[in-house]
Amino acid sequence: MDLLFDSVQSALLLFMAFDAELIEIVIVSLKVSFAATLIASILGIPGGFIIAYSIFPGKRLVLTCLNTLLALPTVVIGLLVYSFISRRGILGPLELLYTQKAIVIGQVILIIPVIMTLTIAAISRIDKRYRMTALTLGASRTQMALVILKEARYGILAAVIAAFGRVIAEVGISMMLGGNAKGFTRTMTTAMALEYDKGEFVLAVALGITLMTFAFGINMLFHLLQGRTGNDAV
Amino acid sequence: MLYRLENLKRWHGTRTVLNIDKLEIGPNRIYTLIGPNGAGKTSLLKILAFLDKPSSGSLQFLEKKVLFEEKQLYALRRQVVLLDQNPIMFTGSVWKNVEFGLRVRKVPSKACRERVEEALELVGMESFADYNALGLSGGETKRVALARALVLEPKVLLCDEPTANVDNENQEIILKIIKRINHERKGSIIFSTHYLSQGQRLADHTLLLQNGALSDMASENIHRVTVLDRQEDGCLCQLTGQLFLKFPLQFFPDSVKVAKLYIDPTCIVLNPKATNPAEGNLLSGHITDLSQDSGQIRVIIDVGVKLAVVLSVEQYRLEKPGIGDKAPIFIPHSGTRCTRIGHLNSDQSV
Repeated sequence: MDLLFDSVQSALLLFMAFDAELIEIVIVSLKVSFAATLIASILGIPGGFIIAYSIFPGKRLVLTCLNTLLALPTVVIGLLVYSFISRRGILGPLELLYTQKAIVIGQVILIIPVIMTLTIAAISRIDKRYRMTALTLGASRTQMALVILKEARYGILAAVIAAFGRVIAEVGISMMLGGNAKGFTRTMTTAMALEYDKGEFVLAVALGITLMTFAFGINMLFHLLQGRTGNDAV
Repeated sequence: MLYRLENLKRWHGTRTVLNIDKLEIGPNRIYTLIGPNGAGKTSLLKILAFLDKPSSGSLQFLEKKVLFEEKQLYALRRQVVLLDQNPIMFTGSVWKNVEFGLRVRKVPSKACRERVEEALELVGMESFADYNALGLSGGETKRVALARALVLEPKVLLCDEPTANVDNENQEIILKIIKRINHERKGSIIFSTHYLSQGQRLADHTLLLQNGALSDMASENIHRVTVLDRQEDGCLCQLTGQLFLKFPLQFFPDSVKVAKLYIDPTCIVLNPKATNPAEGNLLSGHITDLSQDSGQIRVIIDVGVKLAVVLSVEQYRLEKPGIGDKAPIFIPHSGTRCTRIGHLNSDQSV
């Protein structure tokens, strides 16, 4: 109990003191996580929509592959991306290794399957009559897609939130591709791993509490938004 | 000609849901599609609305062949609107729903506002403009869906059972609007219904669908019959319920045990004077309902099952049937047809 109590106290003290190092770590974490989530959403939501609404041979296989990719370990992604962006890799000249961009690339690969599968599930749950109604009222394919996306927005938003939660909490990719360089690629999770290695458990748990606070804040924001628009949606 | 269908078929897997040899639908008329559940009404309406593709055969719209290519369909769909049997509202207000079709057509705001107001007024939903569309009752949803379709002033309005699952008040409102739209805007309306009387009251033309095929049989007075016994002088059959009838042997080939029996309501004789048992079945029942339809009187007689009998006004004046009266009826074999269950074409009648 002492460890937990000391950690909460330590976290509060760090917050109140506006500890520069903590703020820097939080900013790096949020920056890479938001960037990865944004890119993965731009690619994953339309991708999920197309798969959900198309009929093509091998669709089941694609869905099975996407579901399998949900279990892809971060270390495997780290190794894969490393092989491309290391000095000897084909993208070596771009000098991406140990940069925030490298972390973002790895994290995008990690969460695209999450966003796609949850988008497919959200779209599949939408009543087929929406499609028919939009088309018979003269909507083009794109306008019809926008209607479906609007109706599935909470499910899609939940997919994005889940993906954000996955990237902000992951450590493997950030460590392997970012290198945990202080002030550049040190994220909350890599900092926690480092503090743990150093035996600084209180600081590690304090960082964990900070991470959970952010995750809680984002989820609260989502639920508030859903509640406000869901109750009296006009 | 508005639509021309030739050898049009639609099947799902091994099941044929639509099989139309030839059908022509003229402009500026009200057509009604009548048939029981599973007759193919919705499948036909979806094809006429260019929302579904026939499996084979050809469809022409305004004398042009429909190729079911995306670009052509997009242009065609802007002339035809299908009102679903259970319409669904988009998230948002009633107003947003009604203006949807105009928005996608990029109609200027001022014209859009005027047309939405007019459409909502037409269906009597103007006071609901700012309501959440998802909070409407079934009847109100149907009326808003009708406004959402009418605001587009389509060449053809297709309505899939527009009065199903709504109360009598909303049914009357919807039917009146359909009639008024056809009268004022000269648009074509094709609507499906289970109810023969409703369809015939409103429509200029009636199309009867049975098992996916156009039929000359009305959807009433159709009953399932089971062949109980074969004797030299005929087959003893049992209708749904406890009604037993005798038919000539040629009505049912040896292999047929169960069939659909159609009794033409215009052929049934009420209060027959003299009957020959070899020419039909004499039954007795009670009159349960009387109504007037397009200059004819429909009498519903409960003889174990409810049978409709259609009389001319002259016959009605002569017989003066009243509700609750005991009424003997004669069903001549000449006004009776049997069809094998599951078969599509009338040429497969037995």
